[in-house]
Amino acid sequence: MTWWSLVLILVWLGTFVAGQLFFKRAMESSGVAGFRNRQTISILSIGILLMTVSFFLNLGLLQRFDLSYLYPFQGLSVIIVTLMAAIILKEKLTWRLTIGTLLITAGVVLVSMS
Amino acid sequence: MTNNRPSGFANPWIQLGLNIICVVLYELLLKAGARATADPSKSWSWIGITGLASPLIWLAIVVIILDLVIWLYVLKYIPLSIAFPLSRLVDVLVPISCWLILKEGISSLRWCGIALVIIGLAIVAKPAARLEERL
Repeated sequence: MTWWSLVLILVWLGTFVAGQLFFKRAMESSGVAGFRNRQTISILSIGILLMTVSFFLNLGLLQRFDLSYLYPFQGLSVIIVTLMAAIILKEKLTWRLTIGTLLITAGVVLVSMS
Repeated sequence: MTNNRPSGFANPWIQLGLNIICVVLYELLLKAGARATADPSKSWSWIGITGLASPLIWLAIVVIILDLVIWLYVLKYIPLSIAFPLSRLVDVLVPISCWLILKEGISSLRWCGIALVIIGLAIVAKPAARLEERL
């Protein structure tokens, strides 16, 4: 793996996680202000844009690497999304949720390594 | 959470299940499409745009858009920190469906990984069930 592919994997993960956060924010906004609200639409659009970038990067990476190689990185997204949801969206992160998320991450990494 | 949870097919937990099915479907389509169009000799193919030559990728995009709508609906009712880990059930379903349908072998280490994910999901599902009581 070259440093370039590592950068691409990081950007792929970063845009994916950010996209999820924007989606959740957009749905919160739609609950308060409705779907045709300008704020809701702009947050949703940023989310879709980020997800589109992430999608094409994923495709580019899939053309070069096996799915089984890329999967551990995708597994990491579980822990990153949960952490970011707690920090940025102020969602409640219980011990139970943390342990469950860690186990899922470990399991995904193990599945893709074997 | 101020939204009243819809029942029946509109139930967000059922929609979360639908979302998982969509993800399994488009992951397989994407890999098949990417494999069919892989041409690492072109330097700009890093951005994955060459994948659009495959009809499988276009089919995957349709499923992804459908999945996006379902996912947004799920997020309207379920916190991201619970919905997202649960959505990773796909990481168990993909190898198991390969084992069942494609008769691919699963090593004991991989079974251990699958078991870990299932235990983790069960643990995450508990706060989800509590959330359900509050809704």
